[in-house]
Amino acid sequence: MEEYAREPCPYRIVDDCGGAFAMGCIGGGVFQAIKGFRNAPSGLNRRLVGSIIAIKTRSPVIAGNFAVWGGMFSTIDCTLVHFRKKEDPWNSIISGAATGGILAARNGVPAMAGSAIIGGVLLALIEGVGILFTRISADQFKNPIPPAEDPVALGDPGRNFSFESASNRTQYQ
Amino acid sequence: MSDNFSRTPYSDGHAATHEEASKPHYTTTTSSFSRTPVSPYLNYDSRYLQQAQPEFIFPEGANKQRGRFELAFSQIGTSVMIGGGIGGLAGVYNGLKVTKALEQKGKVRRTQLLNHIMKQGSGTANTLGTLTVLYSACGVLLQFFRGEDDHINTVIAGSATGLLYKSTAGLRTCAFGGAIGLGISSLYCLYLIAQENSSNSSPKYL
Repeated sequence: MEEYAREPCPYRIVDDCGGAFAMGCIGGGVFQAIKGFRNAPSGLNRRLVGSIIAIKTRSPVIAGNFAVWGGMFSTIDCTLVHFRKKEDPWNSIISGAATGGILAARNGVPAMAGSAIIGGVLLALIEGVGILFTRISADQFKNPIPPAEDPVALGDPGRNFSFESASNRTQYQ
Repeated sequence: MSDNFSRTPYSDGHAATHEEASKPHYTTTTSSFSRTPVSPYLNYDSRYLQQAQPEFIFPEGANKQRGRFELAFSQIGTSVMIGGGIGGLAGVYNGLKVTKALEQKGKVRRTQLLNHIMKQGSGTANTLGTLTVLYSACGVLLQFFRGEDDHINTVIAGSATGLLYKSTAGLRTCAFGGAIGLGISSLYCLYLIAQENSSNSSPKYL
């Protein structure tokens, strides 16, 4: 269902690129803050300054790398949707592998192949976990099996449907 | 039977009695519309229902326009891409200028050009993206705490972005950054107000 909450395909590229940049910016900011704080000289003031400098210097670079990854992944995903005419986990897996391969293209064919495999496996794991969670959450919406009625609980049918006279039986109204 | 239903929708050919004449008719006796027949079973002219604008059905409790958080990622992505494009073009210009001055040819020139494009493109993209992240974060937080989305949020978010971006460069530079942010956001708000006045549409705050 969350598939319908996303943007339609050409605009999805911009959306994913922005989302990746924001994640990289915030995540990279937190990571670089800790790293800058640890690597700075002793003294709280110096450590805080070191932390801020590290955030300013490195956080946008990490965010940019994330944005490139997100944008390329989304572009390949949309291209596959266009040509395959369907949206399924294979699109994401192929996109992950292709993105990993393309971004490692400058380092040679072996590095490219390694990155592609890692990207594909990573996306396959993510998609697999997603499907697993969907299955688990779908189980709680299944209709419960109606309990089989025990014939003993219904009582003696001979007593209920006897042909004796009505005067012998007490009637409650 | 009279066919002119738009004038007398309930006429059945007989002379109207005093009793029938006193009964009120709910349709217009003189219709300014075309003389096409209207159903005699309706007590109003159905052509009044036709509207110029299309009607949209919104889910219950949903807003008619997307909030700042929904628009944030699109804005960030757009600014990153625009920044990359502008930086790339500037890189091409600077690269050509440098390679011409150094009289470089062939593969060396191509490599230098690519280096300039990549370096300047990524730098501008990162700068614009970071500014938009700050602006979006401020806007979303203001909307969350104030509980409403209006031009005040835009102006405050713009000013806060300028102040935060230049916060490490000293008080004067920080104030200058804030003033630039305030100016740009104010101009944008004025443009939005002008747009609202010209076409009576609902405002869309970014």
